[in-house]
Amino acid sequence: MIQRSQLDLRKFVAPEFICGHGALQLAGRYARNFGMRHVLLVTDPGVRAAGWTDAVGESLTEAGISFTIFDAISVNPRSRQVMSGTEVYRAEECNGIVAVGGGSPMDCAKGIGIASSNMRDILAFEGVDRVPVPAPPLICIPTTAGSSADVSQFAIITDDVRKRKIAIISKTLVPDISLLDPEPLTTMSPELTVDTGMDALSHAIEAYVSNASSPMTDVHALEAIRLISSALPAAVREPHNLDLRFSTLLGSLHAGLAFSNASLGAVHAMAHSLGAACDLAHGRCNAMLLEHVIAANYEAAPDRYDQVGAILGAAEGGRGTPAENVAAFRRSLGVTETLAAVGVREDAIRTLARQAYADPCMVTNPRRLTCEDLERIYAYAL
Amino acid sequence: MHMHSDPPDDRDALREKIIGLGETSLHKSYYPELQSRLAELERFRALLDQTHDAIFLIRADTGRLADVNASAVTYLGLSKEELLAMPFASLIAPHQKAAFLETVRKSNEVPSGSRRTCTAYLVSREGREIPMEITVRSVIFGDEQYIVAIARDITDRILTEEELKIKESALESSTNGILIADLTGAIMYANPGFASIFGYEQDGVFMGKNLEAFFATPSVGEEITGHLLDNHTIVKETIGLRSDGSSFHIQVSGSVVQNDAGEPLCIMLIVMDITERILTDQMKRKTYEQLGKNIEQFAIIGDHIRNPLQVIVGYVEMIDDPLAEKILEQSCRINEFVTQLDRGWVESANVRQFLRKHGDGGEPPLQTFIHIGATKEEDP
Ligand SMILES: [Fe+2]
Repeated sequence: MIQRSQLDLRKFVAPEFICGHGALQLAGRYARNFGMRHVLLVTDPGVRAAGWTDAVGESLTEAGISFTIFDAISVNPRSRQVMSGTEVYRAEECNGIVAVGGGSPMDCAKGIGIASSNMRDILAFEGVDRVPVPAPPLICIPTTAGSSADVSQFAIITDDVRKRKIAIISKTLVPDISLLDPEPLTTMSPELTVDTGMDALSHAIEAYVSNASSPMTDVHALEAIRLISSALPAAVREPHNLDLRFSTLLGSLHAGLAFSNASLGAVHAMAHSLGAACDLAHGRCNAMLLEHVIAANYEAAPDRYDQVGAILGAAEGGRGTPAENVAAFRRSLGVTETLAAVGVREDAIRTLARQAYADPCMVTNPRRLTCEDLERIYAYAL
Repeated sequence: MHMHSDPPDDRDALREKIIGLGETSLHKSYYPELQSRLAELERFRALLDQTHDAIFLIRADTGRLADVNASAVTYLGLSKEELLAMPFASLIAPHQKAAFLETVRKSNEVPSGSRRTCTAYLVSREGREIPMEITVRSVIFGDEQYIVAIARDITDRILTEEELKIKESALESSTNGILIADLTGAIMYANPGFASIFGYEQDGVFMGKNLEAFFATPSVGEEITGHLLDNHTIVKETIGLRSDGSSFHIQVSGSVVQNDAGEPLCIMLIVMDITERILTDQMKRKTYEQLGKNIEQFAIIGDHIRNPLQVIVGYVEMIDDPLAEKILEQSCRINEFVTQLDRGWVESANVRQFLRKHGDGGEPPLQTFIHIGATKEEDP
């Protein structure tokens, strides 16, 4: 266990964000304030179909800013998609990016930003602090309450060639402004609401037990766990309740502020390699792994895990271990499948574990896990 | 007591601004300013790329290129990336490298801002050597010292210079005197040929002199310039005046030099010493005169012989004497001699006519005794 002291040096980076009903409509004003003349509007087909891309486009037009839409983005954004977006950015002579959508369009937008400002392939930035030139201004309008890509210094991109997720971690990836509006969340399906919500919960829990956590991130992590555990199940039941949606959005924002500064752990490391191998939704991967990692990590941060367990247990009325309480919360949201059920075979575990072990998220996991430890966790989750 | 308070509307607006939601409640960002500076730089860059001169920015410490403009890329046929990977000196023709580096070294010694110029050949990708006039200047950007080299293609200038040199040496080496004067007749240039014709030691002494100084009658100078301004060309024979005061025959042919708009710039005179020709003409004239006189004498002598011969023949035909035959025979022979002399005269007249026609145009000698078309020319 890594000893922590509140006197340890820590840094807290957060973008400017505006939250509340109608925040989306401010996109045009902020784009203009950043000196944007032609914007690359990064989104995905689902968000576009729901009408949120057009709503943002309208705001840009009202502010006298022209834009080009780039929506050729899949659920786990690919390096090739990032590079074709970069091509569009250059060809259309854009000078700023607005991202509307969940984690995929926002991560892709971050990738396009740094690939075009550095004029290099996106895969060249894999790792921590490997981005020399900051990206052009980026305005994020999240339409899910989960990824927190709109406040984080992370971008996760799938390497097309080697079929694995790479993590790019850099302060230059923190967006310039995030416009948090609950309204776009109302068109999320229950499944997407649960997956993204479980992602946010994983962010909060992993940040709270991270060996890089700080008093500042702790506040946000705990508040995130509280908000998500109470609002998420209700939001699934009442998808059009703006107050409930806003609570999940706030929960995700708190979780984002916490994990962007304290980083994550084994859940995300393992979810990244799992998601890339099986092309599964990121939030669902986290949901299937979270309780097993908690069980494996527990001895390294028992007090913190107990606190997490207590908050979740209070919501569900359960009195089990933190891992059991997390499992109960997951089941209550209808996430019941195991890794085997989604097609993971036992012989794939070695490779999954090896890739997860190399993920930068492993560095801040509270317990120093070996590659064999990761294999055992995958095996439990089968 | 009057309480100062803002109307409620203003308070709401103020509250919005304090929250950070005002139209201009901006987050601190250098991006817009950076954008306008970049646009400015791009504009300037485009300007630099437009210039015909090749511009090189060289790092003073390594000698490597830090930046080049579009003209440099075009001249050398190397991409910008290729250029930025090489030292500037490698672009200079090998035999001039040392001299160029010396120029750069000197420009590094003097305080920033002063420039030095040298000429050197830059070598393109295909190995073509381009003559360039290179101005180098040491500058400091930030903490780093650089050398700015601006290279101007002087291929055309060199060609023009060479052409001029050929023309100039043609002028200089001409044995005819060549004179260039302004429209008032003040001399701007005289070649060595002119100096030698007029008996001057060197050709520099003419500058500023008026051309009237070179004619026995000074007003001829003015006549010539006046005629040239009206008619643009002149050919004239006149008497020149040497530096020692002696006079001699000259032929002056002149023309007006005009600019593209047809305005007269200066006049040019070509002077030939024709003393020899004039003297030859005079001598020829005298010779012909003498020849004419002599041949006239000759004809008279012929008559003087033929007349007594006629008497002798008449007399001999009347007498019966064994010698008569012999005398007649001899008389015939004498007559033949005289006839041949006459014929010789006719031939010599043809020769003289030929000379007059195709010769040097001198005055023909005496008109007497010309038997036009009398005989055919015969081989001697
Ligand atoms: Fe995540």
